[in-house]
Amino acid sequence: MDCYTANWNPLGDSAFYRKYELYSMDWDLKEELRDCLVAAAPYGGPIALLRNPWRKEKAASVRPVLEIYSASGLPLASLLWKSGPVVSLGWSAEEELLCVQEDGVVLVYGLHGDFRRHFSMGNEVLQNRVLDARIFHTEFGSGVAILTGAHRFTLSANVGDLKLRRMPEVPGLQSAPSCWTTLCQDRVAHILLAVGPDLYLLDHAACSAVTPPGLAPGVSSFLQMAVSFTYRHLALFTDTGYIWMGTASLKEKLCEFNCNIRAPPKQMVWCSRPRSKERAVVVAWERRLMVVGDAPESIQFVLDEDSYLVPELDGVRIFSHSTHEFLHEVPVASEEIFKIASMAPGALLLEAQKEYEKESQKADEYLREIQELGQLTQAVQQCIEAAGHEHRPDMQKSLLRAASFGKCFLDRFPPDSFVRMCQDLRVLNAIRDYHIGIPLTYSQYKQLTIQVLLDRLVLRRLYPLAIQICEYLRLPEVQGVSRILAHWACYKVQQKDVSDEDVARAINQKLGDTPGVSYSDIAARAYGCGRTELAIKLLEYEPRSGEQVPLLLKMKRSKLALSKAIESGDTDLVFTVLLHLKNELNRGDFFMTLRNQPMALSLYRQFCKHQELETLKDLYNQDDNHQELGSFHIRASYAAEERIEGRVAALQSAADAFYKAKNEFAAKATEDQMRLLRLQRRLEDELGGHFVDLSLHDTVTTLVLGGHSKRAEQLARDFRIPDKRLWWLKLTALADLEDWEELEKFSKSKKSPIGYLPFVEICMKQHNKYEAKKYASRVGPEQKVKALLLVGDVAQAADVAIEHRNEAELTLVLSHCTGATDAATADKIQRARAQAQKK
Amino acid sequence: MAFPHRPDAPELPDFSMLKRLARDQLIYLLEQQHEVDKLYKVENKPAVSSSEQLCFLVRPRIKNMRYVASLVNADKLAGRTRKYKVIFSPQKFHACEMVLEEEGVYGDVSCDEWAFSLLPLDVDLLSMELPEFFRDYFLEGDQRWINTVAQALHLLSTLYGPFPNCYGIGRCTKMSYELWRKLEEEEDGETKGRRPEIGHVFLLDRDVDFVTALCSQVVYEGLVDDTFRVKCGSVDFGPEVTSSDRSLKVLLNAEDKVFNEIRNEHFSNVFGFLSQKARNLQAQYDRRRGMDIKQMKNFVSQELKGLKQEHRLLSVHIGACESIMKKKTKQDFQELIKTEHALLEGFNIRESTSYIEEHIDRQVSPIESLRLMCLLSITENGLIPKDYRSLKTQYLQSYGPEHLLTFSNLRRAGLLTEQAPGDTLTAVESKVSKLVTDKAAGKITDAFNSLAKRSNFRAISKKLNLIPRVDGEYDLKVPRDMAYVFSGAYVPLSCRLIEQVLERRSWQGLDEVVRLLNCNELAFTDVTKEDKASSESSRLIMVVFLGGCTFSEISALRFLGREKGYRFIFLTTAVTNSARLMEAMSEVKA
Repeated sequence: MDCYTANWNPLGDSAFYRKYELYSMDWDLKEELRDCLVAAAPYGGPIALLRNPWRKEKAASVRPVLEIYSASGLPLASLLWKSGPVVSLGWSAEEELLCVQEDGVVLVYGLHGDFRRHFSMGNEVLQNRVLDARIFHTEFGSGVAILTGAHRFTLSANVGDLKLRRMPEVPGLQSAPSCWTTLCQDRVAHILLAVGPDLYLLDHAACSAVTPPGLAPGVSSFLQMAVSFTYRHLALFTDTGYIWMGTASLKEKLCEFNCNIRAPPKQMVWCSRPRSKERAVVVAWERRLMVVGDAPESIQFVLDEDSYLVPELDGVRIFSHSTHEFLHEVPVASEEIFKIASMAPGALLLEAQKEYEKESQKADEYLREIQELGQLTQAVQQCIEAAGHEHRPDMQKSLLRAASFGKCFLDRFPPDSFVRMCQDLRVLNAIRDYHIGIPLTYSQYKQLTIQVLLDRLVLRRLYPLAIQICEYLRLPEVQGVSRILAHWACYKVQQKDVSDEDVARAINQKLGDTPGVSYSDIAARAYGCGRTELAIKLLEYEPRSGEQVPLLLKMKRSKLALSKAIESGDTDLVFTVLLHLKNELNRGDFFMTLRNQPMALSLYRQFCKHQELETLKDLYNQDDNHQELGSFHIRASYAAEERIEGRVAALQSAADAFYKAKNEFAAKATEDQMRLLRLQRRLEDELGGHFVDLSLHDTVTTLVLGGHSKRAEQLARDFRIPDKRLWWLKLTALADLEDWEELEKFSKSKKSPIGYLPFVEICMKQHNKYEAKKYASRVGPEQKVKALLLVGDVAQAADVAIEHRNEAELTLVLSHCTGATDAATADKIQRARAQAQKK
Repeated sequence: MAFPHRPDAPELPDFSMLKRLARDQLIYLLEQQHEVDKLYKVENKPAVSSSEQLCFLVRPRIKNMRYVASLVNADKLAGRTRKYKVIFSPQKFHACEMVLEEEGVYGDVSCDEWAFSLLPLDVDLLSMELPEFFRDYFLEGDQRWINTVAQALHLLSTLYGPFPNCYGIGRCTKMSYELWRKLEEEEDGETKGRRPEIGHVFLLDRDVDFVTALCSQVVYEGLVDDTFRVKCGSVDFGPEVTSSDRSLKVLLNAEDKVFNEIRNEHFSNVFGFLSQKARNLQAQYDRRRGMDIKQMKNFVSQELKGLKQEHRLLSVHIGACESIMKKKTKQDFQELIKTEHALLEGFNIRESTSYIEEHIDRQVSPIESLRLMCLLSITENGLIPKDYRSLKTQYLQSYGPEHLLTFSNLRRAGLLTEQAPGDTLTAVESKVSKLVTDKAAGKITDAFNSLAKRSNFRAISKKLNLIPRVDGEYDLKVPRDMAYVFSGAYVPLSCRLIEQVLERRSWQGLDEVVRLLNCNELAFTDVTKEDKASSESSRLIMVVFLGGCTFSEISALRFLGREKGYRFIFLTTAVTNSARLMEAMSEVKA
């Protein structure tokens, strides 16, 4: 263990830097890295290489090959580059490869070399060609910045939502800047460029000259500049071999260093970790790597091979032909524990645990020492934290073992930090595996979040691992397993060599009814790949029929969509499908389809009733639904037509339909109406006044009221108005006219079919007691009492009731006995009752 | 007089939450989202506003869309441009957009939705305020509102916990219930683990019991509805009630202390109660005499306001009663009620038929006549052919030929039918069951299948003992059963079904009744085995009426609740009565 710190290099007094191997690269590079365009995605992402034939002045006779490798050097994709010359490569935050062509077109490829889309950076770029390009990451996503042949900059801060911004001109700029970079301040992307000894900052509106504070004199040109991962710091390398380090706002200088090498470095990147006080810059030349910071001495490494630097959140990855290494500042916890002769609590605890394993009593001594200082909690925490920063599982284990050992002596140590670290390390070790090749550090992993990591695994089609991780971390199904299964299924449908049945079955077997999985999304993907049959099969598994419909419509399976929509019970959906069908099918077929779907039919009828009356008629016709057709014409006879002839014609059609429907009643009634309508028209012509549209009853009443008794009776005979009705009608009308003489005549014309009680009632309604009394005498015996009561003759009513010996009548009369006047009558009734009871 | 609830009766859930929710949503929608500053009622006339923007809050109906389109087009002709917004409540329908498109104004109008479906009219009454539901579903076979019902149930279950026990009968009920279940499954987890507040839910279709809805109402609240038309829980009392020249809008709910005591009473008791109340009030006023200054001060500051309020309410209801009395005696209400009771009991059918005929001949009221005809048809399993023809002929002569369509509607809804001579019960049944087992038909409402339905009212009435045997006078002051809402002549079928099912906690033993109701496959019980519900919530029952419920039914169930220690909550698509049902079926000239 003494040699553990062997690869630690001190920088100044306070910090150590270490470099360790992530992978030994097994890739079969045909070209030297220096001959290629290289892009490596941050967060242990993939590496893209494109041999750059355009750089040399040779004619591009051989097409170059674009190769994509995992961080461990496993080939992911390889394709022949057939498009135009590429200036720059870069990875977006979604791990899509952006290839910026000379003509300003950006081609976007997936991790597996699948072409996704392309977009252009604008006309200006097309005209002036691309001189240089950078892909950068902001909190909004990934951006592209372009330097054109006219020495102007164009950038887009987010390629997902492309908005091109042309930056202002730099006054007097004649040649390309010696170096430039994108900065991101206050959520806005800027460009910093160096022209000779001057620095300019470009934002949307203006170009301003800037000077770094405390810059050593004598600079005639800047050779390289580097912005830190978080855009907080900036480093400048000058032609005097001097490095200036400060904040990106150029307001503050952190430190400077003079390396005395005047050759322009190949790469310069920041190497720092979040919340660390130490800042260092890694500068790479052809065969030399230098770590410089706020210290008089730098750390130097020799590069055996052509290498490439990838800045990360908490360090720098360095890969070459044969290895892939990670260089970073040793984290505080690790430093405290492993520093030679460290007395930090963590270091003691680790020691104690080792002694304990050796069954030595020294374990107790160490432990006591920590406990006496009251630092055991801190010790455990330190060990846990340090374990997170270890790359080698054996080291992780020994630190965790120490933590676990220390925990035993603590009463109340919350277990989650330990448990979570164990889980996290397990996940990290799994993904760092050579076959997976995502060398994330603990800090990067925490920054990236588990969700994004899962997305990346899905992107690499590592579905089983992703699912295992979800299950291991017990993530909720909807966010975890189901989502991954859905992605898997979407990938599965693209496997063209497997038959539809097999794919559908395989998907259903895996997915089952996992909550949160949308079969329709998968089906949509299948359809997108041109596998309609498969899509339909997959839709069968979709439990929500409503979800199936839109896709079915898109696939032109409208009839199937219709039945699914009906199954869903969502009328609106049915209607959507109906309108689709209506446009898609010819009328006959459309109607036939409707005919088999009564629910859709009634829905469509509803619509037609308001919007398309003619269609409604056709619908009924097609169904031979004569009853409804009749109703339709009836409605038309008063709603649509105005002229009498038109109305009669509509009624005639209705009557015909009703006959066909074997509804003789309706047919007859309709024919009567036709007659009535014509007659009413004639009456209007002959007598004036308003007749049309009155009911038969009202027509006759109007005639009576107008004094046309003869006509009224003629009409009644013609239309066979029953006697009872006629009598009621005449009675009411005459009373309304207060033609009492005529009423009496009428009452005597023959025996009343409705009796004479109504006469009494109606007269009383007109407050004519005198007339009422006349009729009261003619009322039949069974209603006599009622009639007498109506005219207010209580005494006589009582007599009649007593005569009838009818208990109900007696009660009725009694209830009408009010006040003193009827007291005698009431007595009489009581007496009669008593008598009746005696009998 | 108003019966107290049993001491162990559960508390009603707090529906004021729904009201607040709706109010806040609406205010936000209108003020914040759409910057509305003046409200008008949507009527079929040109817009008078000179505003730059018109915003329509409407039901998603084609008629409304044509109105909007006509306004937009009128503006276009006049060369003015303004913004138009349509807010659909409770949801937007594709058909509406389609109409806007066909009228050529789709581009001018922007659409929004307001998912408002539950209006608490009272502490125990939620209305979806969808009177069109009845015609749309039961006549036109249009299922568009089923989704709305399911959404409403979903909202209730998210607010008041899951429903552990559900029972239902009817096709629409079944579809709504299944759709709601689907919604719950899709969003599961939300209500799980919550304690249910509502222990039982009972859903039923209006067409399971048309009879009750067709009867004249004699309980005070129902009578007020029949006479003055209650709208959204409030009523406009005209000058004849207020005995002044102005009409008065009165909210009718539990807040009105006087109304709350008489709402469920048989009308014959109401007058007595009100006069007693008036006397008490007078006595309380009279206490002033003989008070010293201090007592008087107390009286004025504390009691007087309450007394005055009560006084005002009392005079309103006395006015309403008088007005009802006047109207009811004019049309010989007693005769009418007698006929109805005869129809319910199945006596003197001939006499009743001629009464109806006379009713039609005298043109007493088109809606009333129609109602009586329907009542006759349903209680008698359809009219005998001769009556069917003659009554219809008479009706057409009285009210015009367009009612041929009304009759066609009534026939389709199964409200007014002709007795089919050869059709034995079993033949009809096999026909119906064939329709039901056929999968396609099982899923949809075949509007025509009601043609083959028989109402079987008489048999059901016997089975469920709907006509109480009365020895002596039925005491309406101290009712014995739910029949009091119809003067002791008839226990509402819907309420009896609910009572029976709740007693058995399932449809078990009611198979015969279900068969007679033509609901063989349409009655369901969904009971959770482990009863997590507290004893209190298990006595809180929600009754859902699809197609509307009447105040009489509400009163009857409130009575049942008091007897058994339950509390009922009512959810209905709208409060209805016989006249509304008939109007929904009637064709009138535009």
